[in-house]
Amino acid sequence: MPEVHIPIGPQHPALKEPVNFKVVVEGEKIVSLDLDISYTHRGIEKAAEQRDFIRVVPLLARVCGICSHSHTTAFVKGIEEAMKIEVPARAQYIRTIVAEMERMHSHLLWLGVAAHEIGFNTLFMWTWRDREIIQDMLEEMTGNRVVYGINEVGGVRRDLTPALISRSFEHLTKLEDRLAKYVDMVISDETLKMRFCGVGKLTREEALKYGTVGPTARASGVDYDVRRDEPYLAYAEVPWKVVTDTNGDVYGRTLVRIGEMQESLKIVRYCLENLPGGLISVPAPRTAPAAEILSRIEAPRGELVQFIRTNNTDKVERLDIRTPTLANWTSVAVSLVNQNIADIPVIVAAIDPCMSCTSRITVMNRKDTKTCVMTWDELRKHGRNLYQKEWRA
Amino acid sequence: MTGHLSLDIVKQSMEGLGIAEQVSNIRIRIKTTPERIPRALLIAQSILKCDHLITISAVDNGTTFELMYHMTGPHRTVLSFVIELPRDKPEVHTVSDILPPAGIYERQIHDLLGIGFLGHPDLKRIILNEDWPTNEFPMRKDWKPDPGTFYGGIRKEAT
Repeated sequence: MPEVHIPIGPQHPALKEPVNFKVVVEGEKIVSLDLDISYTHRGIEKAAEQRDFIRVVPLLARVCGICSHSHTTAFVKGIEEAMKIEVPARAQYIRTIVAEMERMHSHLLWLGVAAHEIGFNTLFMWTWRDREIIQDMLEEMTGNRVVYGINEVGGVRRDLTPALISRSFEHLTKLEDRLAKYVDMVISDETLKMRFCGVGKLTREEALKYGTVGPTARASGVDYDVRRDEPYLAYAEVPWKVVTDTNGDVYGRTLVRIGEMQESLKIVRYCLENLPGGLISVPAPRTAPAAEILSRIEAPRGELVQFIRTNNTDKVERLDIRTPTLANWTSVAVSLVNQNIADIPVIVAAIDPCMSCTSRITVMNRKDTKTCVMTWDELRKHGRNLYQKEWRA
Repeated sequence: MTGHLSLDIVKQSMEGLGIAEQVSNIRIRIKTTPERIPRALLIAQSILKCDHLITISAVDNGTTFELMYHMTGPHRTVLSFVIELPRDKPEVHTVSDILPPAGIYERQIHDLLGIGFLGHPDLKRIILNEDWPTNEFPMRKDWKPDPGTFYGGIRKEAT
């Protein structure tokens, strides 16, 4: 059978950022996958070397729209470690609350996208509606819906008032009911199971070998979570547990994310109930002594690492950001091999890629040099039709 | 979950490969050389039970390039293996054969700092755009954008 190369991307309406895949297929089966992630390179690491710490924080909030809080948290945590300053407990609790809300809205967004990829648009609409509850809470707390701007070196920039906290509890109760519904749906819905079970499987050994992180790794039974392994913010004081699963497929990743949302909700509630009094920030010096910091945090998509080197000035000498998506790519290339073309959308979406997109797919047959163009919608439809036929058979 | 690795154990297993020092309560930094890095990582994998390559960080310190291979394992201790590469010949053997995730990090470092990884199966451009000029490495400290050079995007004459 002739080998066919399918270039996918770089633009795709379902996911919000550009990436280009070159998929090699034989018939319906995928042989290999290559990727090009250059489309969103904006030179942020270089720009961070030119700015002082105060101005780097808002810059890093713009690395990613979904995890804007994660990037700034990793940076301020690292710089505070270099400056050796003690951040007030109240600030750490507020950072934890925002971080966990960010995780919840990110996982809800993912659940919606994954449902959309398999044609389950009702679930997509529901999760995105419920995500609004969190967005509204975040807006009330930080003043912003996307780039929260709550972190600064030395603490946080806004305090939580008692009125705001009591309103937040009402929102959380509503959200808890909805999450319970999603748990029920994922466990009992046949459509979801049919498209998720056994798809994009990674064993524990493979997950470790290919360096996966976050929910993708935990769904394969890899018990790594930076929040517990190297506690930061208030995670050491809050009772919570790491969610893992042994399915190792897209279904397992769904269960892990849903479990994590429930844990996050408990963390937020605990932090609001036990919010310590006192200051929300301490004055930070303008410069940091020469130091070398490896700042790791658990972002919604997995372990986010920032390597920071300071040199007695008010600027970083080097800021090296390793995002969870980059760590997960190696495994995607592996888990797609021998899978069906129809499963590309859902497997790629299952790691919750933070920069990927595809808009048109050119199907080329190398032998007779015929080329036809498939849109992502057509590919998604192809996936749905194929599975419907199988189901009926 | 087992306890953290002690400095003594790391020192013992890295005997003759590098100098280990404790930099924070859970991070140990091991200074080694480019020739010894594959062996050091193999020992970290087997004897010290490190099963996760966190990342490879690359720094241009003005005179040399530094590469740092950060590894961790069930003991949750982070081991950072540090090597230095000369500016005039920034090359080191790839470790993607030992650690598959290293492949993508090495491609990124190759792209941004121009460090060569010998034996890498697919050292292609990954971060910079396809029309970026070759032999220009933006993360090097001595790199300055040249106003006459085309760095990608839309050419002026095309607009």
